[in-house]
Amino acid sequence: MNTIPVRRKWEPYLWLLPSVVLMAVFVVFPIIIVFKQSLSEISKAGVVGGWNNFENFRAVFRDPAFGTVMLNTLVWVVAVVGLSTLLGFITAMSLNASFRGRKLARSIVVFPWATSLVIQASIWNYIIKFEYGNLNNVLLNLGVLRSAVNWRVSYQIEFAWECGVGIFVTIPFVAFTVLAGLQSIDNAYYEAATVELTVCTVLNIIYVFNSFPIIYTITKGAPANKTDTMVTFLYMRAFYDNQKGPATAMSVIGFAILCVAAGLYMVTAMRKEEA
Amino acid sequence: MKKLAALLLALALMLGCCAFAEGDEITLDVIICQYGPNTNDWFLGSGMDGTNFVDKFEAENPGIKLNLQVVSWNDVYTEVSTRISNNNAPDILNIDVFANYAAEGLLLPVSDYCPDELFQDFFPSFIEQSVVDGVCWAVPDLASARALYVNTDILDEVGVEIPTTWAELEDVCQAIVDFYDGEVYPWGIDMTTDEGQAAFSYYVWNNDGGFVDAEGQVALNSDKNVEAIEYAIGLVNKGYTNPNPATQTRYDLQDMFGAGKLAMVIAPNQLPDYLAQKGYEGINYTTAALPVNEGATPGATGVMDRIMAFRDDEYPDQAARNEAIGKFLTFFYAPENYVGWVSMEGFLPAVNSSVAALVEANPSFEAWLKVLDSCKFYPTALDNWDAIKQGVIDVEQQALTGGDVKTLLDELQAKIAG
Repeated sequence: MNTIPVRRKWEPYLWLLPSVVLMAVFVVFPIIIVFKQSLSEISKAGVVGGWNNFENFRAVFRDPAFGTVMLNTLVWVVAVVGLSTLLGFITAMSLNASFRGRKLARSIVVFPWATSLVIQASIWNYIIKFEYGNLNNVLLNLGVLRSAVNWRVSYQIEFAWECGVGIFVTIPFVAFTVLAGLQSIDNAYYEAATVELTVCTVLNIIYVFNSFPIIYTITKGAPANKTDTMVTFLYMRAFYDNQKGPATAMSVIGFAILCVAAGLYMVTAMRKEEA
Repeated sequence: MKKLAALLLALALMLGCCAFAEGDEITLDVIICQYGPNTNDWFLGSGMDGTNFVDKFEAENPGIKLNLQVVSWNDVYTEVSTRISNNNAPDILNIDVFANYAAEGLLLPVSDYCPDELFQDFFPSFIEQSVVDGVCWAVPDLASARALYVNTDILDEVGVEIPTTWAELEDVCQAIVDFYDGEVYPWGIDMTTDEGQAAFSYYVWNNDGGFVDAEGQVALNSDKNVEAIEYAIGLVNKGYTNPNPATQTRYDLQDMFGAGKLAMVIAPNQLPDYLAQKGYEGINYTTAALPVNEGATPGATGVMDRIMAFRDDEYPDQAARNEAIGKFLTFFYAPENYVGWVSMEGFLPAVNSSVAALVEANPSFEAWLKVLDSCKFYPTALDNWDAIKQGVIDVEQQALTGGDVKTLLDELQAKIAG
């Protein structure tokens, strides 16, 4: 008659098993492979050789473009996360107030987030085009402009556009996470919002750091990696320039950076649970 | 009981997927690049007069099965290198580069599998491009050539002739700028990550420079190259070109040309097809040779892709495998198949036996074949070609943002050769 306790004991693990297997096959295993490859010599054709004494990591730090790319990544994460959090918070506050057409407003706000990033980035790419761009067309037709403006006159401005698109598509994520927090608890109104905000910011840092489609679609990092962030840069190194060793080393560096962010997230999430 | 049955069924399915028929049959894994909208249909659908390449080949060559996959150019490098990393290289690969694969001992020499009669059929100048130390590692599958396309409506309206030298080009550009007040770009230039190496070749090859010197050694920082790239960057800085050469690809330029917003563009022989497909109408244009620096020998840019065979040392019957690969090539290059393949996406042939039929079908081919005759090709036989390609694009983009061409090319040369 002791079959029930034994079953109880094992049952949770049984239910967890499929997820654990999935995680192992699609998350843990590739991570191990990348770590191993980052320490191995990889030929141009893709043949993986033996241990090469951190040469891949050294190549990354020798690369003159790496400094620019890291700086860009910092600007990208700080600007996109910072401004989208601020604007998203304001949006959440406004959407939480009751007004006519609130449902409609809420669904409009979610649009940018519900659309694929590649599509959004391509659309923005068209909007700011000099030759047939919608922005120029609209402004010319409204009489605001006399002649078309080149909205991408320098790479600094192109990078600013990319950050702008990043902010635009991230606002809904912040707004809805905060809104959810605001609505779940009626009392302690602002406190609830700030707790959600911390969790949301940490998650946001991870998403934005890893964001690839906007920069890849709009500039591909050109000119000369001056608008690359780490993720687009390592993709170009791996698949355009055939430098797979340094590229895997870079993804290990990125992984380490994100581990710190993920650690922060877990600490915050646990504290919230305790509270 | 039901659960047991389900489990057994699942197991049976899995085993079924793994099972394969052996016998005397040989299966060749083939990767073909997607050249355009018709490639997939021709190889696997019904684009070959109602049938397709695979079915027709298998019907004519009993005992040989093709596991043929059409892969987009964006993915093919990743696909191939992943398969090599996993020890699962294809038997036959269609791609542009070969030198890395050859240098690492992954390829079979062409002489191991290509029947002699077929080998003699290739244009010798094409075959040369795939020879390293006297061994040929790949055969050309097709080629395309680049020429200058000129919008004659614009040039007539401005009242200028098609430029043939660099000095004339600057005069024509200035006249177009003056006439249209910036509404029309005189000259298209593409220094993007996609194809900036082509721009490099357009200028250095028309100034007696190049990627390599007469001995075939990498020579990126020659005075001729510095002069040529400074000239190209000068065109941008003087406002003669499209405004964002680092991000405007050749396709952007082709669209501007089709819309009548760009007066001159360097493009492949398929440009007319491209413009027709995209529905651009109402512009009159002609082709011309690329402008050349005064006194230099003109050099047209040709682009060639290849077919190669990978080694599979574990395969028990190497002779049978080589023979099967040879049969694949013989079938592919037979005029009744090859003519359709080359003309379908508007390419130029790599074998003599199909030339007559192609010219008969489309007389404009003849002029292009002449261009092809004088074409120079990228030095893809060098195993560091990808570093050179990426390097020259980087130099161009640095120069666009104000870098000094000579310094940049000196650094690149030191990095590549040193």
